[in-house]
Amino acid sequence: MKRNAPHLPTSPVAWTIAAFVLSASPHLLAMPPVLSGLVLVAAGWRLLAAQRRWRLPPGWIRILLSLSAIVLLAISYGGLWGRRAATGLLCLMLGAKMLELFRVRDLRMVASVSLFLVTTQFLFNERLLYIGYLMAGVLASVCALLAIQRFEQGNQRAPGSERRILREGAMMLLAALPVAAVLFLTFPRLAQPLWGLPDEVMDARTGLSDTMSPGSIAELYADDSPAFRAEFEGGPPPPGDRYWRGPVLWNFDGDTWERAFLPSRTPTDLVPPGSNDYIYNVQLEPHERRWLFALDYPVTLPENARISLDYQLTARKPITALTQYRMRSNPDPIDMPQLPETLRQLATRLPADRNPRTREMAESLRSRFGDDRELIAHVLDWFRQEPFYYSLETSPLGRHNADEFLFDVRTGFCEYYASAFAVIMRFADIPTRVVTGYQGGYWQSGGEYLLVRNSDAHAWVEVWLEGSGWTRVDPTAAVSPQRIQRGASSIAEGRESLFDMAWLRDLRNRYDRLQYLWNAWILGFDAERQQRMMRFLGLPDISRTGMALIMAASLGVIVLVVAWAWLRDPRGSRDPVRRAWLRLLRRVGRRGLAKRPSETPLAWARRVAPALAGGDRLVEITGLYNDIRYGDRREESLRRRFTQAAGAFRPEPLGSRRF
Amino acid sequence: MSDSTASARASEPLAEDLARARERVNGIIIDKREVIDLAFSALLAGGHLLIEDLPGVGKTTLAQALSLSIGGSWQRIQFTSDMLPADILGVSVFRRQDERFEFHPGPIFANVVLADEINRATPRTQSALLEAMAEGQVTVDGRTHRLPQPFFVIATQNPLDLTGTYPLPDSQLDRFLLRTRIGYPSQEEERRLLIEPDRRDLLADMDPVLDPERVIELIGTATALHLSEPVLDYIQALVAATRGHPAVRAGLSPRAALALTQTARAHALVMQQDFCLPDNVRTVFPALAGHRLQPVTESAQSGADIANEILEATPVP
Repeated sequence: MKRNAPHLPTSPVAWTIAAFVLSASPHLLAMPPVLSGLVLVAAGWRLLAAQRRWRLPPGWIRILLSLSAIVLLAISYGGLWGRRAATGLLCLMLGAKMLELFRVRDLRMVASVSLFLVTTQFLFNERLLYIGYLMAGVLASVCALLAIQRFEQGNQRAPGSERRILREGAMMLLAALPVAAVLFLTFPRLAQPLWGLPDEVMDARTGLSDTMSPGSIAELYADDSPAFRAEFEGGPPPPGDRYWRGPVLWNFDGDTWERAFLPSRTPTDLVPPGSNDYIYNVQLEPHERRWLFALDYPVTLPENARISLDYQLTARKPITALTQYRMRSNPDPIDMPQLPETLRQLATRLPADRNPRTREMAESLRSRFGDDRELIAHVLDWFRQEPFYYSLETSPLGRHNADEFLFDVRTGFCEYYASAFAVIMRFADIPTRVVTGYQGGYWQSGGEYLLVRNSDAHAWVEVWLEGSGWTRVDPTAAVSPQRIQRGASSIAEGRESLFDMAWLRDLRNRYDRLQYLWNAWILGFDAERQQRMMRFLGLPDISRTGMALIMAASLGVIVLVVAWAWLRDPRGSRDPVRRAWLRLLRRVGRRGLAKRPSETPLAWARRVAPALAGGDRLVEITGLYNDIRYGDRREESLRRRFTQAAGAFRPEPLGSRRF
Repeated sequence: MSDSTASARASEPLAEDLARARERVNGIIIDKREVIDLAFSALLAGGHLLIEDLPGVGKTTLAQALSLSIGGSWQRIQFTSDMLPADILGVSVFRRQDERFEFHPGPIFANVVLADEINRATPRTQSALLEAMAEGQVTVDGRTHRLPQPFFVIATQNPLDLTGTYPLPDSQLDRFLLRTRIGYPSQEEERRLLIEPDRRDLLADMDPVLDPERVIELIGTATALHLSEPVLDYIQALVAATRGHPAVRAGLSPRAALALTQTARAHALVMQQDFCLPDNVRTVFPALAGHRLQPVTESAQSGADIANEILEATPVP
């Protein structure tokens, strides 16, 4: 019986498939190509089937296809758990549904689930770019539902109706905007998200890792996406001081630098405010790790964050959503005037069997220079004078990586220099640690904020010196001062000339300014900002219940306004015939030939016809209107003839035009 | 409007015949299309027509032309103050040879009856006529006699010469579906009347287009004519307006509302339409409501004035 169901016409099927494919597109891109290919083939096949009136495949084929697709999915994701696998499953099942779109009910189901599918993308990404996708997906789904409804009402055959569906759908979305705005502004916000996004991976795992082995930042350099933005009260620090501290690494096993587990500082143990403090707001993009970035040295702590002994700022939970925090940093204090013995040991430890040549050099330097500062200055001079090059094109290093780098390769970027420099220092018995983080940033002069991209990732070294505590030494600056002064992109220039054309960079910066505003005003509209808005409106200290009441009241006002408009002219707003008629009345009415309310359409048309050129035409059009309105004729062709004729009628007073 | 309004019906011979009948009457009664259309509407709505006008404006001619065009029998009753009900209804006469009463039908037994100057008769005689109009039958000496179908009364009243008359009581007026006046013809049309041959001769040459059976059929068609929701809304709005009007003693009754609906349909049929338009309602409304709306005593408005006022104040949906 199912298979004998009447053939669904192309229009609603095409709309529904378009809605599905559009809504699923980001998921399809993220899925294994085999599976997304399957889904697309199914959708394409169904579209062709609608056009060519093919029969739908028998049940066992459909079941077999669906099951094997699900098994494939489970294999590629290692199960059906997790956000990616779950949305993938949803896409697959809808794809399978393509093979059995028999009835209006099926169409409606797919179109409705497409609406849901659009929202699932925001489990992964909340970027501004996706608003376009959201709009398109929702619009297509709404249009699909409209097309289905139109088909059910039996007037789907009108040509040109596709554009009308699109327009109608757009109008519906537009009409929903006030409701959306009210919900956005007044929906009671939770200080914490309702569901925590699981700790698992983001689409692209970016950001700094908590370890460093020379070469690992290389991927970051290719990543131009924003890491965070900082908005300063009073200008930004000079480029040479823009060191954003991230993970601090103490332990070196010969290959990899790792963190040490140091105790946290209590809030009372922070540096005191000074006179040169930087006060700034950080808007941190989600990076799935817990680092928060700050300039040295934080005077205050963001909420739900702690700071370790080495001033490494971490959040209690991974940063899975855009996070904003306010910071104050005092650049002047001395970090650890006294170095405890345990830390001294930690900061001088090296694997003994590695890098013999470096060790030899360090020990000879040690015997030449009694003063640590002189020794460091000498090594930096050596970096400057010997043929060291800064480059992102590097080759992997072997077991004695410091030796190879310092004496053979001599080409690399910050990690190589920081690691090798730290090894020299430690062999010379100077307490040393490696700091990773970001350096520099692009000053958006229009947006008044500093944009720090992932490509600004950097690694430098801190040495402990008697009298000045931990002191930043950046060996990269010795080799390539411009990297520090002008930013990472000055190095990247020439590497990817295609993507670094000036206009493109300009465009990207402009887009980032939009993204910044989006982050600040839309994504960043949290419980606190909501309260601030309410205070601004003169409603301080609103409870969550109060917020809910305000929301209900605002929605009630909207409903009342809509109901009023609807009751005032119950049919006028919906029926295109009625609308065309009212428009015609208005047009002719502007010529001083308005219809009196008590006048019947025909009486009016006959009264005004003699005053108009083509007045007979008006009487004819009115006759059509009478047929539809009072004769209850419902043929779409007649209705369209009327709306077209009424729309085309231009009232010209008699004599204004010569024949 | 070749193919829009009134398309399907034009092809039907019945409607064509109706149109021809109307044209015939139009040819005789000059310049009075509206009145003729109303008369046909009253006929096809199964009601009766009251014409209030001066003598000599063509009431009799209209009634005669109408009855001739529909091909039925017709009678004229000139009402006088000494007239008895039996003079209208008929009498039972004892026939000696059969030893039983035989009913001699009065002038009311005709398809079209012209009751001239109805206000000259006594209320008793008037009510005999009105009852017969309402019931469609006549009861004499305990025996009921059905009147011929269709049965259509055109009554006339002279509104000026009221001495020695018994104007119809208000409660009886609504026995008439419509009340209208004929009025004087225009200058040109009156000239035509003066030049052309006597109307009576024209009437003599007239042959029927319809017959009583087909009129009954037309009445059935009118009853079933399509009337859409907006037109119903309009009718209800008009009726409601009469009920709330400050100058009216009592608004239109549901029966009057029903009559309005039916008359609007009949008018639409007369106008060769497939369905009823608000225009039909508007046209018949004053004739239908004018005599049913009784102004409060202090009001200077007549019922017809009020009806027109309501028409101007009620928006057409």
